[in-house]
Amino acid sequence: MATANQNSDLPLAPVRSAPGLLVLLASMPLEESEKVVANLTSSFSAESLMIATADTLPGDLWPGLRILTIPEANPSWTLTAADFELAYRLAGENEAGAILMLGPGSGSLRSSGLRDLANAVIDVSADLAIPCYDLPPHAGLINSAILYPLTRALFSSRARFPLAVDLGLSLRMAERLAIAAQRSTALSQEDSLIWPINEAAVAGFTTKEIDVGPRSTPQPSESDINAILASVTGSLFADIDAKAAFWQRPRYLPPTRDSSQQAPTTDGPTDITPMVDAFRLAYTNLQEIWSLVLPPNSLLGLKRLYMTDVAKFSMPDTLWARIVFDFLIAYRLRTINRGHLLGALIPLYLAWVASHINITTAGTNPERHIEALAAAFEADKPYLVSRWRWPDRFNP
Amino acid sequence: MQNFLAIMLDSGQHPAAQQLTGDNGSIWHHMSDALHQSIDRVLSLLIAILPGILAFFVAMAVFTLVGMALSALLRRGLTWAKFDDRLTQTRGKDDWTPGTSPTALIARASFWACVILGLIIGASAFDASYASAATLPISLLPYLTRAVGAIFLLIAGTLIARFLARSVLIGAVNAQLQYARFLSLGVKWLVLVLTAAMVLDHLEVGGVVVELAFGILFGGIVLTLALAVGLGSRDLVSRSLESHVDRPSEHGVGPTHVPAASQAEPIRHF
Repeated sequence: MATANQNSDLPLAPVRSAPGLLVLLASMPLEESEKVVANLTSSFSAESLMIATADTLPGDLWPGLRILTIPEANPSWTLTAADFELAYRLAGENEAGAILMLGPGSGSLRSSGLRDLANAVIDVSADLAIPCYDLPPHAGLINSAILYPLTRALFSSRARFPLAVDLGLSLRMAERLAIAAQRSTALSQEDSLIWPINEAAVAGFTTKEIDVGPRSTPQPSESDINAILASVTGSLFADIDAKAAFWQRPRYLPPTRDSSQQAPTTDGPTDITPMVDAFRLAYTNLQEIWSLVLPPNSLLGLKRLYMTDVAKFSMPDTLWARIVFDFLIAYRLRTINRGHLLGALIPLYLAWVASHINITTAGTNPERHIEALAAAFEADKPYLVSRWRWPDRFNP
Repeated sequence: MQNFLAIMLDSGQHPAAQQLTGDNGSIWHHMSDALHQSIDRVLSLLIAILPGILAFFVAMAVFTLVGMALSALLRRGLTWAKFDDRLTQTRGKDDWTPGTSPTALIARASFWACVILGLIIGASAFDASYASAATLPISLLPYLTRAVGAIFLLIAGTLIARFLARSVLIGAVNAQLQYARFLSLGVKWLVLVLTAAMVLDHLEVGGVVVELAFGILFGGIVLTLALAVGLGSRDLVSRSLESHVDRPSEHGVGPTHVPAASQAEPIRHF
């Protein structure tokens, strides 16, 4: 992986990109779309760009810019299977050399971030350019708790945001993702999630992480975290299940890259009592279900956590890693109904969030804690592999 | 026995005794005839039913063996064809997720389908042989075929009750309802009571008594749940309504609620 320089946000001289860059722009307010296009045209010549969007952009503002009008799709907070399929089709029809997919809220991205993301795939140095956002410490917590550590441990990728809403794709990467997307769209599941890091790892494609600075992340339209968490986690678990032959082999993790991003700092205290209460309520009611999934050691750890005061509430990283792995195995074995399984994970996730907030409030750098958590996932990977292969024989 | 009685009666030469001997001989003759006829009828009924019973067991055994062979064949074939992997790839995200792998599910389903087919064919063969040959009413036999349906109803009802109880328990816990377990138990017993009533109705046991008892029990459980939930969650509902007016959901995906007075940082799960 390489690090892109994104310190400067000054307008740069337009760079000629050949062949053309297809930019698939998610539907967003007109001012925001115009801002994205303005940022792009400040880095690339208008002739080398093709903007595909469902919004109506005023073409006279950017002479020479090709604007492709695409049909209005269902609004989504992240990139879906339909988006990947559409991107590859448009790239083929318009003979684009690379693709830049920008999700909702991409108007908040710096022009330098957009430029670096696009350049990573234009100069064919990478097949997949994935952004690293500079988010507040208490944002993107599902990503920090489950998506990032699992992806890092199993697919040996340090990409901090496996479910990023902006991506740079080479044509062969776009083709790979479109094939994966077709399986879902063929079954009328256009809103299915696709995991680009996993696909790139399995295909042996190069991935490059780019620091893009701060971004206002789009939030899911569904107000219920239970449904969203189950949907996202379930999708990742299913993808891991489908790629089991790949990740069971030991692989080397790329070295840590130098990041120019600022370490996030907490602005103030956050009340974790409701989350701890939710965990305690679940502990008194869901023991029967948890005991079907978790081994006695984990249950004992949860019991200790249940008896801990709110002020000292802290879930060990090893316990959380073991919990996620055991839920992943139960998902694979279908120990209980998968909907029930993912529902039973929610209070445990809330306990982790409460613990994470407690740790960061005590002065630990949030990123340092998340890195330690990811390392705990990596260290415990042999347990996952053993139980995956011999679920009945190996059950401590 | 008859000879013994005759000798005993013949030993006395009294006329009255001779008369009695003649009468007793006639009674015994009648009793003996009646007993013979009864035994004949029972034996003939058993002989008539035996082929049916034999057909039942033969059908069951044959179809069980066929089911075992078919199940093993399907399991091997689907494993060889990597059916599970292909299905996962083609189906992708799916709301319906069975408790076992699709291959095992298909193999088991084929086995049990054969067993059920054997049961149905055996029962119908038995029923046919009984109906054609029966001259005496045996009240238990007609229940045999209904009992099969009743067993299926009972199994399905129990499975549905367990599934719904878990769904309600997890949903209620995630909604932070303090009476989650009580609610889950209530739903479980509602379904079980309904199942029991359906099974008894299918077996035609109890008649109106079952309907009446079911109505009372079902209504009682619903009323208890309604009162418990209504009274128990009064504060929760009012707080929920207030929160919907004032701010987004406390456990929504967006920023988690924080008191306005504090400088607390919002939590974003995504």
